[in-house]
Amino acid sequence: MSVIELKKINKYFGKGVSKVHVLHDIDFSADRGELILVVGPSGSGKSTFLTIAGGLQTPTSGEVSVEGKQIAQLSTSQRDKLRLNQIGFVLQSYSLVPYLKVKEQFDFVNKVKRQGNLNKAELADLLKQLGIENLTNQYPGELSGGQTQRVAIARALFANPDIVLADEPTAALDSERVAEVGKLFKELAETRNKAVVVVTHDVRLMDFADKTYRIMDGKMTETNTEKMAK
Amino acid sequence: MYLALKEIRHEKLRYGLIISMIVLIAYLIFILTGLSFGLAGENTQAIESWNVKSIVLNKDSNVSLSQSLITDDQAKKASLSAKQAVIGSTPVVAKDKGQKKISSTFIGAKKDQFILKNLKISSGRRARDSQEVVADEKFKDEGYRLGDKIRLNSSDQQYQIVGFTKNAKLNISPIIYGSTGTWKSLRGMTNAKVTGSAIVSKTAKYDAKDTHLKTYAISYFISKLPGYSAQNTTFGFMIGFLMIISLIIIAVFLYILTMQALPIYAVLRAQGIPARTLAATITSQSLILMVSGLVIGAALTAATASIIPIGVPMSFDIPVLTWISIGLLIMGFIGSAIPAQKIATVDPVKVIGG
Ligand SMILES: Nc1ncnc2c1ncn2[C@@H]1O[C@H](COP(=O)(O)OP(=O)(O)OP(=O)(O)O)[C@@H](O)[C@H]1O
Ligand SMILES: [Mg+2]
Repeated sequence: MSVIELKKINKYFGKGVSKVHVLHDIDFSADRGELILVVGPSGSGKSTFLTIAGGLQTPTSGEVSVEGKQIAQLSTSQRDKLRLNQIGFVLQSYSLVPYLKVKEQFDFVNKVKRQGNLNKAELADLLKQLGIENLTNQYPGELSGGQTQRVAIARALFANPDIVLADEPTAALDSERVAEVGKLFKELAETRNKAVVVVTHDVRLMDFADKTYRIMDGKMTETNTEKMAK
Repeated sequence: MYLALKEIRHEKLRYGLIISMIVLIAYLIFILTGLSFGLAGENTQAIESWNVKSIVLNKDSNVSLSQSLITDDQAKKASLSAKQAVIGSTPVVAKDKGQKKISSTFIGAKKDQFILKNLKISSGRRARDSQEVVADEKFKDEGYRLGDKIRLNSSDQQYQIVGFTKNAKLNISPIIYGSTGTWKSLRGMTNAKVTGSAIVSKTAKYDAKDTHLKTYAISYFISKLPGYSAQNTTFGFMIGFLMIISLIIIAVFLYILTMQALPIYAVLRAQGIPARTLAATITSQSLILMVSGLVIGAALTAATASIIPIGVPMSFDIPVLTWISIGLLIMGFIGSAIPAQKIATVDPVKVIGG
């Protein structure tokens, strides 16, 4: 069974003449163990797709289920729980609390979600893998864009979610870091059996993906990875 | 609570400014309350020291001590027991050569009734004859000494201060206790068949059995003291308005801070942090601000109280101040309601965008 399944998703924004059809009959599913890439030009609806998949906004029509449960049928607090426990969001912007030091970002998760988070050793490994182990006493305001992005990734993975939804996680990273993040995501999928969905227009990540989808004019098509990389 | 404290610690200047506003308001409220109670005390101290429950006045006196007269006949008919006493009251100006004139209230009473019998002397002794008087300590503060001979109004008769008593103020003027005879002569009624202005009673249900006299509860009498109710209402309004201002200040500041931080709250909501946890953050911040403001305000008040000049009537009633503090905390709680609501209902997608 797929952990995330979207069926016939349509999303409109606005009303009347300014009504835009952003997502058009989208079918999508992600399984454990898969790293899936969704690419497309700016404004094509990637973020919209990801927030619908994560239950942050509701589609105009269609059905979203996460781990077999239809999101539309969950209460607000059940959705909160789902996001807290099962989904790790790496958002395009503002992912960190500005007045918490890097290490306190994790402390805070521990306070709200008391179990199932990474332990100290696992967190240390993760930070090392992302190359941010020396930044734990820094405030987000003191980090570079790329460092912020890596801390945001660590923050999302710290809660040990089954599903990782990442929106442009590599936009501010150089090629070397991109490769590391790509490797990390691939490993999360393969060895820890998570479903990782990354929305991006960063073609450098394609080498790591198991599947790549392309959004164009609101329609989603599966792409041959090798062909796209060229 | 975790986020609340972390944010305050990180944004020291911002929150320091808000706390200083609250400190000023709390300080102002505390001082005003102290003054209000001090003034109220100077209106009623003497009456409270008599420990009476009711007062009998002339029906036509409009509940005013200075307009009321009790005749000898009425006093006889009234069958006074040890729980009743007759007082004669009249405003006087006391003066002594080389000393400041003091506007006071002369209370004439009988030596064998409880007003004079139970009078607490703080220095000196009780009066033995009608040439001797006991005065409120205000006279001492103004430079009068035991043994000083004072004149009352323009009469030539001199009265010797043989004792001082504490907390003898009626309607803000200090009291001089003396004899009924002196009161009669001060009123120019030496030969009239009158005995005083009123009968005070330690029992609530005392009846003087005369159609021209009426018994009032002492609390009612106090509320009719000239200016007393107006004064209390004025202070009450000032304190009430300051409470509301504090509510607005805390609400506005928290609202602004919340609006600035909304994107962060949106992200946290997206990450599944329950709305209640986030709303609790802003509420506990508000309470932390209020409590710190109150503690510092109270400390300032205590410091002020210890250096305030003697003449300024100030009295701090701890239960009342506690209630006011609780009131301010409730204001803080209400003030955080709108921002908390904003946070609880923030739509993650709207703010995150992308
Ligand atoms: N809340 C909204 N109201 C109206 N239109 C919206 C809203 N959110 C997104 N859109 C529109 O939907 C389209 C897709 O937006 P989306 O954010 O999903 O694009 P994207 O693929 O993530 O772009 P980028 O690569 O720049 O992040 C855009 O045309 C955008 O203007
Ligand atoms: Mg986007």
